[in-house]
Amino acid sequence: MQRRNFLKLCGAAGLGIAAPLGADAATEPPPYEGPYYVVFNASGGWDTTYLMDPKGVNEINRLYKEGDILTQGKHRFAPSAAHIEAGMSNENFFQNYAEELLVLNGLDYSVNNHSPGSRYMATGKLDSLAYPTFAALVAACKGSEAPLAFLTFGQYSATGNLVPMARVPYLNSLNKLANADAVHGVAQHPYHDDFVVNRIEQALREQMEARVSEVRLPRVERAQSMLYAAQVNSKALQRVTPYVPKTSPKERLSQQADIALASFRAGVCVSANLSIGQFDSHNNNDPDQMKLIPEFLAGIDYLVRRAEDLEIRDKLVIVMQSEMGRTPTYNNGNGKDHWSIGSIMFMGSGIKGNRVVGATDDKQFLIPINSNTLATDSNKGIRVRPEHIHLALRKLAGIDGHAFSEQFPLHVPHDERLEGLLA
Amino acid sequence: MHLRFAVLRIVVASLAITVSACAGPAAEPDNNEPECVAVGNYFANEVWAKVGERTCLKCHRADGDASESEFLLQDTLRNLRGLRDNRDAFHRMATSLEDGKSRLMVKVGGGLDHGGGEVLQPDSTGYRILERFVQRLSGKAGEAANQDSEVAEYDASPFYESVQMMTPERLLRQVTLSLAARLPSEQELAATRQSGFETMDGVLDQVMNEDAFYERLKEGFNDIFLTLGYDGNGEEVLSYDHFQPTRLWYQKHDLSNVPEKERQRARWSLADVYRDAIRREPLELIAHIVRNDRPFTELVTADYIMVSPYSARGYGVFEELRDRFKDPDDPFEYVPTKLKALKSRSEKVQESATGFYPHSGLLSMFHYLRRFPTTETNRNRLRARMYYQHFLGIDVMVLAPRVTDAAAVSAKYEIPTMQAPNCVICHNSIDPLAGLFQDYNEAGHLGRRKDGWYSDMFGAGFEGEELPEADRWRALQWLGERTAKDPRFATAMVEHVYYILMGRKVLMVPGDIEDPMFGAKRRAYREQRRMIEAAAERLAAADFNLKVVFKALVASDFYRVDGLATVAEKPHRRSELDDVGLVRLLTPEQLERKIEAIFGEKWGRLVNRDSKFNILYGGIDSKSVTERMTEPSGAMGAIQRIMANDVACQHVALDFSKEPSKRKLFPGIEPSVVPDGQTESEVQLRAAIVHLHERLLGRQHSIDHPEIDRTYRLFTGIIGDAKATAGVDARGSYFCERIEEKRLDDPNYTLRAWRGVVTYLLRQHDFLYE
Repeated sequence: MQRRNFLKLCGAAGLGIAAPLGADAATEPPPYEGPYYVVFNASGGWDTTYLMDPKGVNEINRLYKEGDILTQGKHRFAPSAAHIEAGMSNENFFQNYAEELLVLNGLDYSVNNHSPGSRYMATGKLDSLAYPTFAALVAACKGSEAPLAFLTFGQYSATGNLVPMARVPYLNSLNKLANADAVHGVAQHPYHDDFVVNRIEQALREQMEARVSEVRLPRVERAQSMLYAAQVNSKALQRVTPYVPKTSPKERLSQQADIALASFRAGVCVSANLSIGQFDSHNNNDPDQMKLIPEFLAGIDYLVRRAEDLEIRDKLVIVMQSEMGRTPTYNNGNGKDHWSIGSIMFMGSGIKGNRVVGATDDKQFLIPINSNTLATDSNKGIRVRPEHIHLALRKLAGIDGHAFSEQFPLHVPHDERLEGLLA
Repeated sequence: MHLRFAVLRIVVASLAITVSACAGPAAEPDNNEPECVAVGNYFANEVWAKVGERTCLKCHRADGDASESEFLLQDTLRNLRGLRDNRDAFHRMATSLEDGKSRLMVKVGGGLDHGGGEVLQPDSTGYRILERFVQRLSGKAGEAANQDSEVAEYDASPFYESVQMMTPERLLRQVTLSLAARLPSEQELAATRQSGFETMDGVLDQVMNEDAFYERLKEGFNDIFLTLGYDGNGEEVLSYDHFQPTRLWYQKHDLSNVPEKERQRARWSLADVYRDAIRREPLELIAHIVRNDRPFTELVTADYIMVSPYSARGYGVFEELRDRFKDPDDPFEYVPTKLKALKSRSEKVQESATGFYPHSGLLSMFHYLRRFPTTETNRNRLRARMYYQHFLGIDVMVLAPRVTDAAAVSAKYEIPTMQAPNCVICHNSIDPLAGLFQDYNEAGHLGRRKDGWYSDMFGAGFEGEELPEADRWRALQWLGERTAKDPRFATAMVEHVYYILMGRKVLMVPGDIEDPMFGAKRRAYREQRRMIEAAAERLAAADFNLKVVFKALVASDFYRVDGLATVAEKPHRRSELDDVGLVRLLTPEQLERKIEAIFGEKWGRLVNRDSKFNILYGGIDSKSVTERMTEPSGAMGAIQRIMANDVACQHVALDFSKEPSKRKLFPGIEPSVVPDGQTESEVQLRAAIVHLHERLLGRQHSIDHPEIDRTYRLFTGIIGDAKATAGVDARGSYFCERIEEKRLDDPNYTLRAWRGVVTYLLRQHDFLYE
């Protein structure tokens, strides 16, 4: 049965969720060819004043003064090269990527706690546990038939029941899964003769077709559909093997990036949620941030460089975020506590770079912006919140009118929508 | 209860209060809610459900901030008649006029010095609902009635109408597999066939005596408390200051009986087992309480801990307990014991009026405290948050209040958590609780802060009651005593058991009143809530014997739902039934146990440490990966295919090699039986297939059932293909049809065809889900 017909049957049966099946209901789905969405999470709350929103005044930063602030194109950034031992300095990051980088400063996270902050940043909805993350939503809308449509390596990863999340903690796991019908994954040693495999698949397909017309509980419909899709679509994993690097890097984000990139390149993945933690620098803020920000930037750089090698760089959409910022003052332990104002960065396909939107003042308070011009407007501007960002991301991805997006609406008045934020 | 401490109680109430109002858009024709009809659908389903209980009741209740108001409402959770009183109260407010305008509308808009200010904006759905209510009462019903028509459009039928329940036999298989990792015994089957559901209590009594149940119980509660995931080596829960002489006992343990060249490896192994033994202690406490029918309140009040011969050595109490162990060499035999007040390296003895460490179940276990550590800036707030979540069923982080400018609030007040109203609303409950944990440091060890507790936090206490100084040394016992008496404790424990059985959390109260499915979701929530609350009442009445909850939930409609008799066509009905039915993807551990129950041994690759399939298949490590995946990704689909291929490969030929009476899969068929067009062989083959469907999938089909037809076609199709394919080996596979190193002949391809059939069955929903 062709996929289109099968989906029609599923629809006739009132399936609440798309039955994510391959092109032919028993064969692997066609490769997903991009764009590929990557969300980098600096988990714990990054200090934006040590990266893209430098201050150097009012004792906000102990490692540099206002006069030390550097620029690259339209970007102003904190100097870090002199303070880091490993990873990528701000200087190198902005030198390499300023042209394609969009920074939004003065983002109002609205809350001061990790859990709701993570949820809000990931979904654009503060007061619901049901909403999917952007990464999950875009995977569901654009390629849920890909076997690893939504990859996650941590941080808030709710799916809204739209698409299964996939966790692949180790690079070589992908090799293990590539040849499921062969003993120990060795293609030369199949468990069954080909005609047996075909018969099994045919029987499963016939059973699924028969079930579509059966009277079933909604949960059973969903479960049977997703199970069948998971098994059929998993055959596409054999395409991953050629793109799995022989060796695995030591760095946390690079390991995650390799798994995501191999999956992207093989056409089995739409989006990936990458994450490293420990940014929650309540004690000794500066050493911690000077260790973690360079690690974070190096991970982004690794992803981009490897994507170039794999010839998919121009298909990447990269979001770089955290669930909160850090206070403009140091506490007694030389740390910085939670701050509900911060920043977010974007680059990649469809995003207009070399831009900085929004701002914070000398005390690290948000300056509102005009939603039409995107210029700061202290009197009549709006406070940019995660729902504004998510609406813009949905629009960029072309999924703002998708039924799944409408299932999870973000209520932003029309005159508050950020025109041209990303593109 | 002090008003400012009422917030979390109200949160809980608001999560539950929907139970008693009419749930669907139309009144239900059941006997539980006669008030619905009496008060009218519009009031019950719109005014009360969408505005009254969600907005007004937060303050206008006997223990709320507006308790002095004349407009006093009732929580209708346990007071079904309250709906009528609430209707009357709304009626009075709506028809009382101020300057020609309904007082109700003036108040919600913030007028007449409404203490809560503006609670509904004029363009909000809630405001419009009240406006229509007033119009109806004022006789301007024409327009309002039209608008209401949609409310009555959906004629809700009884909730479980046309829902099919499991047969007694299916329920029996479900229960024994899920809770005891085995198939039903012949006696259980016979008794069930004879007496139906009546046998279930007896079956559960037996099941809950079996070791496998306690493995499942511990695994389930670890999913909730995550204590296996505390940081560092197992023995690191024992502080250097108090247990330095004994906590590393394995380093000096006499291993002279082990050959010298193997001694180091043996010592490493000893350390591993010891660490495992001590790490398991919190879960062993849970198992001990349930196994011995002790009140489950001991989870927070037990004045003892569980230790094994190995972990007891770490505490330095092995010698005094030696005689209480049946086998002093068994690292995993646990007995209860009390620790004496801890003595530090400087010989300072912990303050204690009893001479003992103030045990209070899980609350005071170093493991629990270490799993949820604190920091200098977190100040035990994580522990307070987890306390609410684990023991009272409240996730304080679920609905964080949005403020206009959180950063400005932080900057405006010197101590926002004590001064800013938006912060105080939660911190006045969280911070006193955090203070109760103040004598436990970031590593979970006993250790008072040199500088005392923070002065910029509310003092230690629990929901308005301050901790008496005399109880400071036993603060967590003091908390445990109050927790055990709190009605939320019983409900939270039922919700935990629900999670263990169903693999998902209970439904949350629907929050979006503009959702067209609000009424349906509310009704489903209410049905489930009713079941949870009933089970909680049974738990409390049974002196908190947790086994009662397993029995209550297994007997519930929610657990027994097995299908639908007719299609749920209307969107409201589909929405109501959206979460109904067990339908749970088996966890890696459950799937391994099911394979063992059916085939006689585990597959091994899902729980094997080296395979790394556990996390890939949605398992948890209790540290960084703490939530199980409930829907299969493509990676999991691949593992299912590997499992099906491999398990079939391991067992089909092996089963045929045994005496028919000892076979699990093929007791009534031989490989020599081939489809030959004769009725006799077809009947034999179909009977074998019926047996496989029953054993692997728990489905009892007739010999001509469509599913049996399909499997029969698969078998015969494979045989036919083999015949038609040139060069097919007359021997079985080197990897699968090999017994005792001898590759088996398979001239008719039947061994391989049966293997194909078993592979097919193992990939099915009925096998991979419960």
